[in-house]
Amino acid sequence: MDKNELITKLTECVESGKVNKAAPYPPAMKGQDGADELTKKALEAGVKPVEILNDALITAMDRVGKKFSQKKIFVPQMLISAKAMNVAMVHLKPFFQSGEVKRKGKFIIGTVSGDLHDIGKNLVSMIVEGAGWEVIDLGVDVKATKFIETIKEHPDAIVGLSALLTTTMPNMQQIVAEIKSQFPDVKLIIGGAPVNEDFKNEIGADGYSPDPQSAVSYLNSLVA
Amino acid sequence: MEIQAKNNIHIPGGDISFNADQLSVSNEDILKNLGMQLADADDYILTLIEQAKDVCFKHVKANACYAFIDNFSICVDKQEIVLNDKRFGAGKLVTSFLKKSEKIVVFTCTIGDDVEKESKRLMADGNALEGFLYDIIGSELAECVADGLHNHIEKLVAGYGMMVSNRYSPGYCNWSVSDQHKLFSLLNGNTCGITLTESSLMLPVKSVSGILGVGGNMRRLKYKCNICNDKDCILRKK
Repeated sequence: MDKNELITKLTECVESGKVNKAAPYPPAMKGQDGADELTKKALEAGVKPVEILNDALITAMDRVGKKFSQKKIFVPQMLISAKAMNVAMVHLKPFFQSGEVKRKGKFIIGTVSGDLHDIGKNLVSMIVEGAGWEVIDLGVDVKATKFIETIKEHPDAIVGLSALLTTTMPNMQQIVAEIKSQFPDVKLIIGGAPVNEDFKNEIGADGYSPDPQSAVSYLNSLVA
Repeated sequence: MEIQAKNNIHIPGGDISFNADQLSVSNEDILKNLGMQLADADDYILTLIEQAKDVCFKHVKANACYAFIDNFSICVDKQEIVLNDKRFGAGKLVTSFLKKSEKIVVFTCTIGDDVEKESKRLMADGNALEGFLYDIIGSELAECVADGLHNHIEKLVAGYGMMVSNRYSPGYCNWSVSDQHKLFSLLNGNTCGITLTESSLMLPVKSVSGILGVGGNMRRLKYKCNICNDKDCILRKK
């Protein structure tokens, strides 16, 4: 395979969730090389790491995110694609550490205090990471003080707040207010089943994301 | 209008355990959590679900605890329930549906923390889908234990000529999760080993707490979302 074929094939593997040769999914690609083998081969063939990231991995995850938004695929397929991407990223890790490959920016994310639901947050984390961002995941039940400490360490980061319970929406409002009082210029995006655009405006957040792909679109718009 | 307890019969609280074979989780319910219907799932996903169910059911340690509260009042106008002199801002919906109660049952139940630990281990190992499935199955199992407890209490109070309401939990139906600490204090330390974090979250995570009403005029409704006007609730969106 030449370099273009390797990129095309790797993109296809991540998009369809073919992790490695041994992986049984998807059945139509049984026995074929997956994201793991193809990333290694691409590097050995002289494809630049930044090309692997931008032209294969980010392209594939962008397609995955769009298909998820359009309900053409569901959570399981998205998670399998994210796994394929993560396997490929392991090969790129040294190039991130050396600075040869750079992320688009940093994204701090957490589920607000009083709420321990992390699935939506994790899906957003995976898709945002797949879009080329460094994700700092603070977990669940995160208080304003934790967000603020992390923003102090990464003042250029964008912050995402997640909530699933209607009764923890006031906590989200309080956290947004506390962050904005100390860091008025930090961009805040909110998401989760009970929140919407009106609530975003009410609490003074900067963005609302109904799904992972729209979070990526918002983040990318800030660095475009 | 304030409504006081009317029934003087005292029913003791208790503990109940469930075996894995007393619990069930349907593939349809698991898929709903993934935003899918049965027709959307291929053989690979269905096989993963079956494998995950097998493991999760082996890790379940299902226990439930409950206490009957005789000293209570409910004020629909204030949207408040007072249980043994502790005030709960339970919201309009909960107070409305419990206003005919003659007793209030406070309960907790859990499946333990093994399923949660397995889920986290899988996610940490990069197997997000499998970890996600364990997490969903754990949540469904916890609700299944709560259903089992609900059925147990329904049978118990039937012997006294009473019926049960639906069950309601802090964190839902506009009832603040911060009331959890007060709710747990009503169980006199018998909480099935469940503890609360500072922000009122239960550990083990796969646990359910709440209250239900008991009385001669109570009704257990099948479709809970039809009686609630919270259009943003996750249970409605599922």
